[in-house]
Amino acid sequence: MNLKRTLQTSTLSGFTLSAILIVTFLNILLQNIPSSVQRVGDELLKLNTTDGVSNAVTTVVVFFRGFDTLGEIAVLFIASLGIGLMLNENKKCEIKAESNFMLKTASKLLFPIIVVYGIYVMVYGHLSPGGGFQGGVIIASAVMLLLISHKNFELSHSVVVILETFAGISYVFIGLIGLLILDVFLANFLPHDVSSMGLLLSGGIIPIIYIVVGIKVGSEMSMIAQDLIKRENDV
Amino acid sequence: MFEYLNQTEIIQTIVTIGSMALLAVGLFGLLTQKHFIKIFISIATMEVAVFLFFLGNLFHKDLTAPILTKAYLDVSKMNDPIPHAMVLTAIVIGMAVLALGVSFAIEYYKLTGNTQVDKMNKMRH
Amino acid sequence: MIGLIILASFVGIVVVAFSAIVQNTLADAIILFMGVGLGSVILFFVFGAPDVALTEAVIGSGISSLIFLMALKHLKSQP
Repeated sequence: MNLKRTLQTSTLSGFTLSAILIVTFLNILLQNIPSSVQRVGDELLKLNTTDGVSNAVTTVVVFFRGFDTLGEIAVLFIASLGIGLMLNENKKCEIKAESNFMLKTASKLLFPIIVVYGIYVMVYGHLSPGGGFQGGVIIASAVMLLLISHKNFELSHSVVVILETFAGISYVFIGLIGLLILDVFLANFLPHDVSSMGLLLSGGIIPIIYIVVGIKVGSEMSMIAQDLIKRENDV
Repeated sequence: MFEYLNQTEIIQTIVTIGSMALLAVGLFGLLTQKHFIKIFISIATMEVAVFLFFLGNLFHKDLTAPILTKAYLDVSKMNDPIPHAMVLTAIVIGMAVLALGVSFAIEYYKLTGNTQVDKMNKMRH
Repeated sequence: MIGLIILASFVGIVVVAFSAIVQNTLADAIILFMGVGLGSVILFFVFGAPDVALTEAVIGSGISSLIFLMALKHLKSQP
């Protein structure tokens, strides 16, 4: 029959299987969560009022789960390493057209404002929303603005390497000092009173670790951006 | 009608259906597009859908952001800070993997010169 | 009021994402992908997560879009 030739059995079975899967999936997902269930963050929020800083997300990222942040920095480092290896550094990509006068002046005016804002977000990460990752990426985007508007702007390779190495080593070093003093890796060995919650100097090692993370992330993102803009490929 | 839409069950249903629709749009793009940059855009869209689903099901209109100040120390009315930390890590790692994948794609284009995934069947270029 | 904002944002995000995938030129697709990031920043803020909204705003529109635009620049030049 003509109907059998036009409707292949594979298409029909595909549609039936996807319909069954979608109905099952939605049936499971659409059961609403009652709002009086016990959450895993209740205990941590109670612990945060005596042991942590004002911003609860910063305490969770740096202090309660600090080892995961160390792994995340390792993943970022491997990705930056891979991008640097793939693109050849001997051939430079020449930008032929000179930029507009307005673009050059405006980017030179905006660059210090963005850098100061990035440092503010990084240093006040334990008192208001923000932190090391956000501040570092804001500084990297300021560098990116100068890279795409000026032809001859380049970061020197050795300065970025020194910054990144220093930041990476000091994270592990702070953890090892905590291991020596208090028998726990990444323990909080500086004085942290509950009465100083809300001041800039509070929380022990938590602001120091977040500043170190911010320096490392910022310099890595700048190198990734400069590799993608300035280098030619390995052909 | 505005009061009807503010209940918790309706908002959870809207969040589930909306993020699953975004996931389906991303999956459609992943399966049918031929240019490999559009495949990367579809993968990034699917990641955004998963983050929205993860954070949307905890929404209640009386809970605020998890930041303690001297005047506001009532921790029973604050959001859960653990999913925020997980999504923060996932956003950064997703971006790093995307950057590495795009640099592989540029290298492949400079070696062979084709951008369509249909013709990527040969073993030697 | 909040439910209406969430519903409108979700509809907007799905429509913009679908039109970003079926474009013909690649530059239009990248710019519409930035719109998806903007909608998700609004939604993260309404859900009560300011840290996540700040991170997604900086990474989604600063770094991720720059990576795609640099890929476009390398693809335009002939091998």
